Amino acid sequence: MVARADTAPGGARWRLWALGPLLLLIAVVAAFSAWGDSVTNLLGRNPPPADQVDVRRVEFKPGEIRIKVTNPQRDDLTVASVTVDDAIVPFTLDGPATLRRLRSSTIVVPYDWVEDDPITVGVTSSTGIETIKEIPAAVETPGPSIERATGYAAIGFLVGVVPIALGLLWLPSLRRAAPRWLAAFMALTAGLLTFLAVEALSEALQLQAALPTGLGGAGIVLLGVATSWLTLTAISHTLSRRGARSSGGGALGGLALATLVAIGIGLHNFGEGLAIGTSFALSELALGSFLIVGFMIHNITEGLGIAAPIADGAKTSVARLATLTLVAGGPAILGAWLGGFITSDVLAVVFFAAAAGAAFEVVTEVVRYVARKAPGGITSPHVLGGFLAGIAVMYITGLVAG
Amino acid sequence: MLPKKLTRKGLIAGAAPLMVAGPLAKLALADNSGEHDHLQLASHEGHGHATQGHAAMIGEQAPAVGGARDLDALLYPPEPLPYRPGRVREYFLTAIDKEIEIAPGLFFPAWTYNGTVPGPVIRATEGDLLRVHFGNGGSHPHTIHFHGIHPANMDGVFEIVPSGGEFTYEFEARPAGLQLYHCHSTPLKKHIHKGLYGAFIIDPKEPRPPAQELVMVMNGYDTDGDGSNNFYTVNGRSFYYAKYPITVKRSRLVRLYLANLTEFDLINSLHLHGSFFRHQPTGTGDHWEYTDTVVQCQGQRGVIEIEFADTGHFMFHAHQSEFAELGWMGFFNVTD
Repeated sequence: MVARADTAPGGARWRLWALGPLLLLIAVVAAFSAWGDSVTNLLGRNPPPADQVDVRRVEFKPGEIRIKVTNPQRDDLTVASVTVDDAIVPFTLDGPATLRRLRSSTIVVPYDWVEDDPITVGVTSSTGIETIKEIPAAVETPGPSIERATGYAAIGFLVGVVPIALGLLWLPSLRRAAPRWLAAFMALTAGLLTFLAVEALSEALQLQAALPTGLGGAGIVLLGVATSWLTLTAISHTLSRRGARSSGGGALGGLALATLVAIGIGLHNFGEGLAIGTSFALSELALGSFLIVGFMIHNITEGLGIAAPIADGAKTSVARLATLTLVAGGPAILGAWLGGFITSDVLAVVFFAAAAGAAFEVVTEVVRYVARKAPGGITSPHVLGGFLAGIAVMYITGLVAG
Repeated sequence: MLPKKLTRKGLIAGAAPLMVAGPLAKLALADNSGEHDHLQLASHEGHGHATQGHAAMIGEQAPAVGGARDLDALLYPPEPLPYRPGRVREYFLTAIDKEIEIAPGLFFPAWTYNGTVPGPVIRATEGDLLRVHFGNGGSHPHTIHFHGIHPANMDGVFEIVPSGGEFTYEFEARPAGLQLYHCHSTPLKKHIHKGLYGAFIIDPKEPRPPAQELVMVMNGYDTDGDGSNNFYTVNGRSFYYAKYPITVKRSRLVRLYLANLTEFDLINSLHLHGSFFRHQPTGTGDHWEYTDTVVQCQGQRGVIEIEFADTGHFMFHAHQSEFAELGWMGFFNVTD
């Protein structure tokens, strides 16, 4: 008590002291802004800005081309001239011609473009630097409509919800499986989630690399991974405490674990839907029925992954199973809508990163569960084989989708 | 047509550069549709339909920079003087680094003679003693190299004038014709392309018939330094004579001094609509061609004589469509 009384007034003083470095930093920054040139001049003159715009999106409408450009650099950038197929064309801008850092404008060009022909658009800055974007084939960019919304929903449903529902139908068989085989299927779940996590992480990093440098580096991916990992950890903590109260067991298992697996898979399917929707919206690909079939085969394993944790517990109601299916598969529909109508590559990075974080977190939960439940422990042949099989099955069915 | 295959891994990555935008942008664009109006063809007779692109546009729709009389000093040459033995013609040229606006909002860091690209028109009569005082106010060493017949030490090749230096070129103006002058410092391509060139008319002792005289120097600008031109012009500004057509009289002789100082592209050309003309290569000799299209290599030039039979707007442009659509297009407004 005496010690506490001693530190309390001192604590306030030291807390104030903690502001010191911040105030000094502000002073140093202000001084550098005022006289910093004399320091940088010692190193020579800075090169001029690159003045290349970032052509984010080119849309084709009847008699019109719309070019969305962003200024990716620190310095202002002014759009002075626009060319289509190497010819100067009249244009209007939906915003100011001078773009500040990371600001965007859409250039509207009245133009009689030729269907299916390759076309080149060029945007020239006031300093004469031309950024050229080649479009392999000019195809009309569809606008939003009820039909398209329904179409995206149908595709999201087919690649997300249907295969997971089908996978859950393995539940009765799993319930009758021997404990070591059930452990094998749980390990398979861990394997497939690891596969999804690695894939999502790679996707997030690839997308991040294509973002303008002004949006920061790979840290945005780590931020997404960490946020979703920690959020899921908090959720799993809450679920396991609730489970402990109701069933007396201390660790996470059964339905709670299945819910976590469903959330992890759901986040991944959101990213998948986003990708499909975007590709459709930009006429990047013709998604044939064969490819949808490929995705369905690929994703049916995800249903199995959700079924495994609940197989050794009490009976689960159909409503609960339906909820799990929607949590895991429904996001594919939302993703397809978002990708089809709004599409943002920043959003895509964040969602793939979140999917990776969630999947990794759920893998640790599943592994803990397997370690506790598996006859012969975590190194039994069934568990090792199941984990490897999970990765292998995802890889092989992924080849079908690819 | 679309070689890209959907792969689970490459799915988003391939689409990434094209992503973003959406309903918000579309709404913003919808509000904007009224602004297209000023781009539609306005009052000109014979241009009733809306045209896309600039290569057929006239008047306010043409994206040219500046006012109607900005380029008069380059378009209309000094008056010819009758031959008089022993006359001295003096010109003062100064090399100046100057940022010039070649298209609306588009600035080119040029090297100029007297602040314009092309430089001023130099004119003398055959036999005049030409004295050109050159001061180098630019940041690089420059010279003036004249085409024509003159002593080796007046050729502007060896006598490099350093920044801040001076040199006086003095020689007899000959032979009659359309000559050129340009900087001959190295790197040559850079010094010419940056804008150090101009037209140099030597009138014959026996004067040419009276005419409305015009000078056009064809050029290009490589604004992004990739070794190919982004803009093409005559007398330095893209689409300038589309915005401000050149008024000439019907049935009155029009004499056009045409020179090609385009860098990077091997040739440039002029094609005139609705009329034929006589073309005298280099403005020398007795050979005249009757045509509507002239092709010139880099540094080539000629004298063109036109009598318009009809009134109205007649287009002229490079017959390389690419050059025309990148700024090398204009109109004659033929009136009674």
